[in-house]
Amino acid sequence: MLVVRRRAGEAIVLNGDIEIEVIEISRTRVKLGVRAPRHVTVLRRESVVLAQQNQSAASLLTESPETVSDLLRLLGSLTTNSPQTSQVGADM
Amino acid sequence: MVIGGTRVLVSEHLGEVEWDPASELLLPGGLPGFEDERRMVAVEVPAQRPLVFLQSVDKPGICFVSLPVRTIQQDYEIVLSEDDRAALRIAHDASPEIGVDLLCLALLFPSGNGLEANLGAPVVVNLHNLRCVQSQTEADARHYRLGEEGRWEPVC
Repeated sequence: MLVVRRRAGEAIVLNGDIEIEVIEISRTRVKLGVRAPRHVTVLRRESVVLAQQNQSAASLLTESPETVSDLLRLLGSLTTNSPQTSQVGADM
Repeated sequence: MVIGGTRVLVSEHLGEVEWDPASELLLPGGLPGFEDERRMVAVEVPAQRPLVFLQSVDKPGICFVSLPVRTIQQDYEIVLSEDDRAALRIAHDASPEIGVDLLCLALLFPSGNGLEANLGAPVVVNLHNLRCVQSQTEADARHYRLGEEGRWEPVC
């Protein structure tokens, strides 16, 4: 891994057209600014991991419906019934 | 399809779902990996409570299975970031409570032969305006795995 020391107001440039500037440094955080062409996607690393996790979550009913059935069996409530939209929050 | 004031969507997983547009969840930024999913409905199947299905309004094939976070960890509390508060339109000095002001849902995903939930990234609904974000206040995930006896156990 390339390690570069920078102060607030200084920047690094990637590939000639992506600039990452150190905007502010506090005791526990660094605020970064990114200037990049519109087609470049900029994400926090944890968001990339979360996106993969969400893709996996969206596949649950298609690829592993038995695990949901197992969960319901463990919860002691495996029967069928009609779906209802929830009045969210009433008893959650 | 519209029936009276309610609408009907046909979910690939849940079948026909009647929903009231007034109960539609608005996700201003979608969810990571699903940035275009801005409208969802929370669906409960009475016999499958406490599961909550988050069904896309626009895409019948997209449906997440979730649980209220406190069914996994009873004393769960959430700390919202300023970005989350802005998206949910919650004042920076407000102290919203789960179950009163907020609904916090953990999405379930397959893991090996079982299920996991990441309590570090719950889907949070502001119950007062139905705006919704997937909050990620912790860089490190807090994964729980469903044990054989139906208890959720932290994954080390």
